[in-house]
Amino acid sequence: MRRAVALVAGLALAGSAQAAQKLGEAQAQRSPEQVYSAVCGYCHGKNVGPVIRGRGLPAEAVEYQVRHGQNAMPAFRPTEITPAELKALAAWIQTSAADPKEHGQ
Amino acid sequence: MTANMDRRSLLGAGVASAAAAGLGTGAKAKAVLAPGVRKADFKGAVAAMRKVVGDEWVFADPDAVAPWKKSYTPDPYGKHIPVGAVCPETAEQVQAIVKIANQFRQPIWPVSTGKNMGYGQTTTAMPGQMILDLKRMNRIISVDPELCTALVEPGVTYRQLKDYLVENNLPLWIDVPTVGPIASPVGNTLDRGVGYTPYGEHFMVQCGMEVVLADGEILRTGMGSTKNPSAWQAFKWGYGPYLDGLFTQSNFGVVTKMGMWLMPAPPVYKPFVIRHRKMEDVARIVEAMRPLRIANIVPNVVLMMGGAYQLAMFKRRGEVWDGAGPITDEAVSKAATANNLGMWNTYIALYGTEGMIAESEKIIRAAFAAIDGEVLTEAEMKDNPWFHHHATLMQGGLNLDEIGLARWRGNGGGLAWFAPVAPAKGSETQGQVALAKQILGKHGFDYTAAFAIGSRELHHIIALLYDKSDPAEEKRADDCYRELVTGFGERGWASYRTGVHAMDLVAEQFGTVNRAFNAKLKDALDPNHILAPGKSGIA
Ligand SMILES: Cc1cc2nc3c(=O)[nH]c(=O)nc-3n(C[C@H](O)[C@H](O)[C@H](O)COP(=O)(O)OP(=O)(O)OC[C@H]3O[C@@H](n4cnc5c(N)ncnc54)[C@H](O)[C@@H]3O)c2cc1C
Ligand code: HEC
Repeated sequence: MRRAVALVAGLALAGSAQAAQKLGEAQAQRSPEQVYSAVCGYCHGKNVGPVIRGRGLPAEAVEYQVRHGQNAMPAFRPTEITPAELKALAAWIQTSAADPKEHGQ
Repeated sequence: MTANMDRRSLLGAGVASAAAAGLGTGAKAKAVLAPGVRKADFKGAVAAMRKVVGDEWVFADPDAVAPWKKSYTPDPYGKHIPVGAVCPETAEQVQAIVKIANQFRQPIWPVSTGKNMGYGQTTTAMPGQMILDLKRMNRIISVDPELCTALVEPGVTYRQLKDYLVENNLPLWIDVPTVGPIASPVGNTLDRGVGYTPYGEHFMVQCGMEVVLADGEILRTGMGSTKNPSAWQAFKWGYGPYLDGLFTQSNFGVVTKMGMWLMPAPPVYKPFVIRHRKMEDVARIVEAMRPLRIANIVPNVVLMMGGAYQLAMFKRRGEVWDGAGPITDEAVSKAATANNLGMWNTYIALYGTEGMIAESEKIIRAAFAAIDGEVLTEAEMKDNPWFHHHATLMQGGLNLDEIGLARWRGNGGGLAWFAPVAPAKGSETQGQVALAKQILGKHGFDYTAAFAIGSRELHHIIALLYDKSDPAEEKRADDCYRELVTGFGERGWASYRTGVHAMDLVAEQFGTVNRAFNAKLKDALDPNHILAPGKSGIA
């Protein structure tokens, strides 16, 4: 599937299928796809935000956006998306292909 | 649109220019220290906190604090900007941080997931505070599938809890505020937020807390402080004065664990929308709904969504209105009709067996047929995005579509919720609608609003939507909000909740004795006033 794109950056760290958080344990580091689906993907390519995949957006610019939250986008803090998660996510977004099911706003 | 072009070209030009512009972010906002706190105190507190949580989890230089400065609420005078952030991982670390805050008199403002959007996010009521960011504390401590309860830490998002339930095949539902994926049961409940299943009044289904007090002690409420507590998540009241309420919408402690009740997944779920075509129909809807809610024939928290609010979720203002001044009812009505919506769209749902639902449906259909309401289901609404959105919410589903509101008036992303409460009576509606339109209109803003009935009360949920990238408009929004609070206050309609920009003003509506009582509690529990000064108007 399109998810294979994640491997391009070689960053599918936490093993994407099993997100399972165990009782009594804090959330482990998530893969870029997991962060995208748990956060970004609810807005981007849906009603709220523009499509951001498949545009070759520079990773540093993505990181800046996430931490600052321009205009109607809320900012996401390092407590929500860890520095390591963000680095991997930004690289993944830069190289990921567009998802035809997404539409911009 | 030009604003859109600017946004895109920024990225094209790379990160340097985006950073330099800081457009529509909190990047440029300048924080000041709290009254009485000297630079040396702040530095001392920061250094001591670093020893507790590690260097990388204390943020004190202005750039590093940027993610906590972002807010949709108006702050034209820069009074609500945090000066730092500290991010503990355990309750023990919270205890240590609280002691440091006392030592250096450095105020700290706790947040759980910090997504109080339209109420201030991670900005503060009074200046100079460090955000005590509890998002890293995100353990799901226990889930009891028999009692249908959970015990969670502040940083657990609704999405994390839902993932846990789904992955473990537990037939339990969560109840979400509209922005579930990135918000939390603890943060939402502590601000006395709501959702839209039968468990929508979140504080009602909260059970037991662990709280770090301002002196560093740990208090467990309800049954939690007994030996080997067995009923901490089963029995709300414990023994003696009931304490949990003291830690909601307040600054008397830092909640580090919270118990909650979960709804067993029903065998059948059936969502409805009831459509009315005229603005003035809202009075009749409330009259018809009240007895159904009180008798629990309609079991969920009901939303009566105004046409303009609905349009603002999925449309841009320019698509439906290009006239001067606020959008007119005629324009709303025309666009609403074109999108298969009414001027009022009342969302309810039934939960249970086929038989139970069929019985209730008969009663509900009769009640609304009598007031010319069209009672519609999935069969008629199909993939209507509004119906889909509310059908998702009424079963505790996750999405963020409604944040589209923040783009109604341009890209700037300005939103402040004004939420006065009245009794659930039809006679309370028309006057409020007229007053809201008059005050909003005077400042050039649209009436984008909904009503909600929890049980016997009527929440009027007004989204004050403005373009925050325009400083003059931000100032107008701030003025407008204040006029709404005082104007409604004079008529006996005070808010159930407000943003950091108006906490003092709303507290005034509740009178001097109420304020003095809260002040006495504050002095007793937090004599140095280090926990979230200004929250709910409590200094
Ligand atoms: C489009 C849109 C729709 C929305 N719909 C709803 C809705 O349907 N219902 C609703 O209720 N809200 C709604 N909101 C408002 C808000 O986003 C949610 O209420 C959200 O759940 C609050 O953010 P949070 O859960 O991250 O809480 P936080 O921001 O973490 O907490 C909120 C406040 O509670 C206090 N607090 C939090 N944690 C602690 C703690 N551990 N100890 C002591 N005090 C604490 C603090 O004062 C804090 O500022 C909506 C917002 C938007 C933009
Ligand atoms: C609540 C909705 C929401 C969420 C969640 C969200 N964004 Fe955004 N994002 C927006 C909006 C709205 C914009 C447009 C901002 C503007 O007008 O300047 C945007 C803009 C962006 C841009 C600039 C795109 C462009 O074309 O200029 C990037 C990059 C971005 N977001 C990345 C992310 C990433 C990565 C995530 C997940 C970690 C994320 N966003 C989560 C709403 C969101």
